[in-house]
Amino acid sequence: MVRSALRSAIGAGFMVAAMASASAQVLEIGADNGPTGLDPHLITAFPSFMVVNGNIYEGLTAIDKDLKIVPGLAESWTTAPDGKAYTFKLRQGVKFHDGSPMEAKDVVGSINRILSKDIASPLASRLSAVESANAVDATTVELKLKEPSAALLSSLATIAIVPRSMEANKDALQKAPVGTGPFKFQEWQPNGFILLTKNEAYWDKGMPKLAGLKFNIVPESATRQVGLTNGQYALLPNIDAATALQLKGKPNVKLSETMDLAYTLIGMNVSKPPFDNPKVREAVNYAINRQEIVDAALFGAGVPGGPLSPALKSWALDVSKFACYKPDPAKAQALLKEAGVATPVTVTMKVLPRQDIKDIAQVVQEQLNKAGFKVELVNQEQGQFIQDWRNSNFDLFASINAGQPDPDDYFYRTFRTGGSTNVFKYSDQEIDGLLDQARTQQDQAARKAAYDKVQQKLACSGPVAHLTYGTLFSAMNSKLQGFETMPNRSLLMLRNASY
Amino acid sequence: MNRVLLARLIDLVIVLFGVSIIVFLMIRMIPGDAVAIMLGANTEITPERMAELNRRVGLDRPIIEQYLLWAGSALRGDFGTSLWTGRPVSTEILLHLWPTLELTFLALLAGAVLAVPVGCLMAQTRGGAADVAMRVSAIAGLTIPSFWLGIVLILLLSAWAPGFASLGYVPFSEDPVGNLQRMMLPAFALALPILANLSRLVRSAMLDALGQDYVRTARAKGLPERRVVYKHALRNALIPFLTSVGIMTGYLLGGAIVVEQVFAIPGLGRLILGAIAERNYPLIQATILVVTAGFVFVNFLVDFLYIVVDPRVRA
Repeated sequence: MVRSALRSAIGAGFMVAAMASASAQVLEIGADNGPTGLDPHLITAFPSFMVVNGNIYEGLTAIDKDLKIVPGLAESWTTAPDGKAYTFKLRQGVKFHDGSPMEAKDVVGSINRILSKDIASPLASRLSAVESANAVDATTVELKLKEPSAALLSSLATIAIVPRSMEANKDALQKAPVGTGPFKFQEWQPNGFILLTKNEAYWDKGMPKLAGLKFNIVPESATRQVGLTNGQYALLPNIDAATALQLKGKPNVKLSETMDLAYTLIGMNVSKPPFDNPKVREAVNYAINRQEIVDAALFGAGVPGGPLSPALKSWALDVSKFACYKPDPAKAQALLKEAGVATPVTVTMKVLPRQDIKDIAQVVQEQLNKAGFKVELVNQEQGQFIQDWRNSNFDLFASINAGQPDPDDYFYRTFRTGGSTNVFKYSDQEIDGLLDQARTQQDQAARKAAYDKVQQKLACSGPVAHLTYGTLFSAMNSKLQGFETMPNRSLLMLRNASY
Repeated sequence: MNRVLLARLIDLVIVLFGVSIIVFLMIRMIPGDAVAIMLGANTEITPERMAELNRRVGLDRPIIEQYLLWAGSALRGDFGTSLWTGRPVSTEILLHLWPTLELTFLALLAGAVLAVPVGCLMAQTRGGAADVAMRVSAIAGLTIPSFWLGIVLILLLSAWAPGFASLGYVPFSEDPVGNLQRMMLPAFALALPILANLSRLVRSAMLDALGQDYVRTARAKGLPERRVVYKHALRNALIPFLTSVGIMTGYLLGGAIVVEQVFAIPGLGRLILGAIAERNYPLIQATILVVTAGFVFVNFLVDFLYIVVDPRVRA
């Protein structure tokens, strides 16, 4: 009696909720983390990127699901013969969410905003090649470069265009973003949700198909899973293999998967013994069995990988090209002997606090210990890990990094002497030369040849042992159509989605 | 009466001042700086840009200067703005306060109110089957961790009533049904250990009281048992009960982090946790001050209630 009464009361409540959602058609998304802010020039971390990229904001260019550069707010562009100037022709009839038209001056304002000291945008390094931006007329923008930059077009996809009135405004966009994208900002309840609604004036007619997006911030993985299976959430974007496997085959749930651009890695500090010796670094690579890591820590959902993601089909070398990718503990021990270091080599490995990385670190510890190392794992809190990482305060660390669509974006800052994320203190003349050359070259084949050499050298004796590229999943309600997981974790395909 | 109030008020000021200094220093002792964390691991940025970002949020000043600046405006009622969003800290706290207040209220209502009859029943049936069964359940209720209970409740409910919206939070004013629907499970998960704890407490206090001479007298003069238990014995058993309820209320007002996390409720617990994780100093400082003030205030209320229920305290 009581049970059935309760049940019908619950049922009535549910019907009210269902009726409300049927008329609104707002897509309910379950996200694990809320953003620190929504200013696309200030907050570059993933929880913010996921909300703003391609949904609220657009760049001059865009990256499609095959990681190809396609027109964004710029309809077309031309490059000067010497590669030191780009001219962009802007799309006409594009309006910001506040109703003002998007013109060349807004593009110039956005670029100046990123370069300004006062705003202190961390994206400035992506535009380091830019000397100046000029509005030629209302729909033409010219970028003058200090030197040719092959990665510029791919970088521009992450440079959001904001209204020119924001050029000197520090705070407004953090709370209330104003972009040109298919969805506009409506409400943000911190730790609760972020609600975006359809931009009725979007330039691409017929898009978006959904009435809005609601990013529900749900920190607990088990809760997100239940939310998807009971229909409260319709999409869990960019989840790991463990979660995906649990959701596989559940009624009304389907999965979409892609090869992740993000890679797991062991970083080595080359500024001090023992990893200052390239032979010790090579020994690490021989000691690691990457397939075992995929099987044991990633539930088989991933592949061993080299310096570039296999998702970058036109750049990445196949791992069979790297001798040290064939696991050989005996060879590792021989290399340690050659290097003249005392075995076992006792080192600590700092571990990023994420379950998949902790699992991987344990497998790697086991493998290294079998090959003449003695590794102690140090589990750290996120803030502490980042601080130690930035200050090069580690022997080894285990982590995961987001990948970039162009090799220059990753290689130059990571492996060039003095690069902004070269926390390993790696410095190699040959690599420096190749990276400098490849970044200014226009010819695709010549760039490819240079990056082949870079990959070949970095794979075995570089400061990073690249481990695996995981399969990236999204789980969604089977009624959701038109959404696919993208290797760079952007959710810009939501504009095509219908529910 | 006024003297008690005044003494408590002075306590409050001293506690708040002490806490403000401790919190200010302690959160700065945690390694990891706010700018680096905001940027996340592996972000490309030059040291100059990092210095500019530090300046942008005022973290480049000496600590003493930072404290004085902050304390000065806090005295004037301005707790500053959240580090990166620039939203007023007071607004953020208010937003997160409502879900916490509601959860606290519902959990206490369910836990404390049920604990009195359950505890009395246990005392009355001491040693009987009902008493043993309830004591075993109480131990279970005390030892089951609420995060586990929360997840199990969500799973059970989703199997039993699929489509029932049990996650997240909607304000009562917007959608009363949806609000209560979502608050049911977390309030239950919080109330269970409270009920277990308090009913055991009421039981032992009642056993004490029921053995007293005045109870025998009351029975001897022919009062109905109900009246003996609830009017004469219970009143004397209430003091430890009130103390416990006070402390629990204080804890609940600080936010039930685990339950908020599991049920995705934007309460004070998650606000503090998130603020610590991102080293959002102004937000941590103000939130912890508010929670401390709440704790002290609840204790004051409890002292006041002692006087109401027990005339002996008045003397």
